[in-house]
Amino acid sequence: MGCGVEGLLVLVIVLLAILVGVALVAWRAHSRSPRAVPVRTAAVPAAAARRTANWRWAGVITGLVAGGVAAGSGALGRGLMLAGPVFGLCVLAGVVAGEISVRPAGGPTRTAVVEVRRVRDYVPHGLAQAVLAAAAVLLALLTVTTATAGPDDLGRGRVLLSRCGPGLLEGHSPWPGSFYSVPLAAMVATGLIVAGAALRVVIRRARTGADPDVVAADDALRQRAAWTITGACGILTALPLAGVCLVSAGALLSFSCHPAWWTYAGWALLALLIPTLALLAWCAAVLLAPARAVTAALPAR
Amino acid sequence: MTARPLLIVDTGNPTPPYEQLRRQLAELIQSTALRPGDRLPPLRQLAADLGLAIGTVARAYRELESAGLVRSRRGGGTHVTAAAPSLSDSERQRLLHHHAKAFVQQATLLGADEQQILGAISQALAT
Repeated sequence: MGCGVEGLLVLVIVLLAILVGVALVAWRAHSRSPRAVPVRTAAVPAAAARRTANWRWAGVITGLVAGGVAAGSGALGRGLMLAGPVFGLCVLAGVVAGEISVRPAGGPTRTAVVEVRRVRDYVPHGLAQAVLAAAAVLLALLTVTTATAGPDDLGRGRVLLSRCGPGLLEGHSPWPGSFYSVPLAAMVATGLIVAGAALRVVIRRARTGADPDVVAADDALRQRAAWTITGACGILTALPLAGVCLVSAGALLSFSCHPAWWTYAGWALLALLIPTLALLAWCAAVLLAPARAVTAALPAR
Repeated sequence: MTARPLLIVDTGNPTPPYEQLRRQLAELIQSTALRPGDRLPPLRQLAADLGLAIGTVARAYRELESAGLVRSRRGGGTHVTAAAPSLSDSERQRLLHHHAKAFVQQATLLGADEQQILGAISQALAT
């Protein structure tokens, strides 16, 4: 059983190394893409861009530390399961702090554009759909694994059992039963709710001015924040999904006697790892990529 | 390119901010810059953008609703009504003259001469 957890750790480290590699490649491709916003440099709210970027990076760094601490804590790999959501929540906190730090243009004469800012105008649609799909798959998978889990020697739902004959039971753990799935589902749900609230903060914060150039640059800042929020949601959903796929597949394929469909299910879960890792790389690239749309508009000084 | 309409609130003006807002929005609706069915900015968003209290913007919206220019629905936002009366040509002309007069008056107080005033208008039209 201990060997299983160690093997899982090695696998996760290998997967993370692959993920970082893919993310770096995606980052380079992303930063070369022609996504510059046609904004004149003089009108850009450079201070707001700097502050939000600083807070965003503070969130990412805090998330890496907190995620690392979470991964190393918790009994029987439970902390490892929660590392992704912990990281995502820290990034979301950084984005919200950055948005709150943006101050509206003051003075006795205030201007506002007559417009209705909507979340869908700023969120990347393809990535958001992929993240929602991953969340739905994770929920479905956790429902099944929780329902099929059996108790271990201390009565915790973290074992998959198979009846090999009269009175003969074979069990493998870890299995994402209630011992893992309940805290994981709670963290992911919290993360998604916080992400929704963060998106509302992004669209509701005051504009930094009403001049068309400032509005365009301000929109670029909001778009960057919305992309970061979507990316953080992707990490906090896809990283546990990858873990659940890996652990479940490992358990299903370890039995000496089991129904034939368990083998297919195990391989299907391993196959699910590929799009999940692709989503993780996509989200990591979104989080790490320089805010090209905004930096292109920053003053040269 | 069609520029999005702007709202300007001068907190130093003796006219209360809600009335400044109400008047500008009413003019935008009557001049069809805001058309029937168009949604007005959410209260919180507009209040944040203008640095005003939500109650101030809410009061302007209430006045517009009382005048039959907009309709608010809980959770559905505030929309320009289909029956919002539009300005007649003479009324439009009168308002244009009124705003031009107010601008010239302010510019003169700033010490601008005729050339500078015309230049400022040309510059504003170009942006």
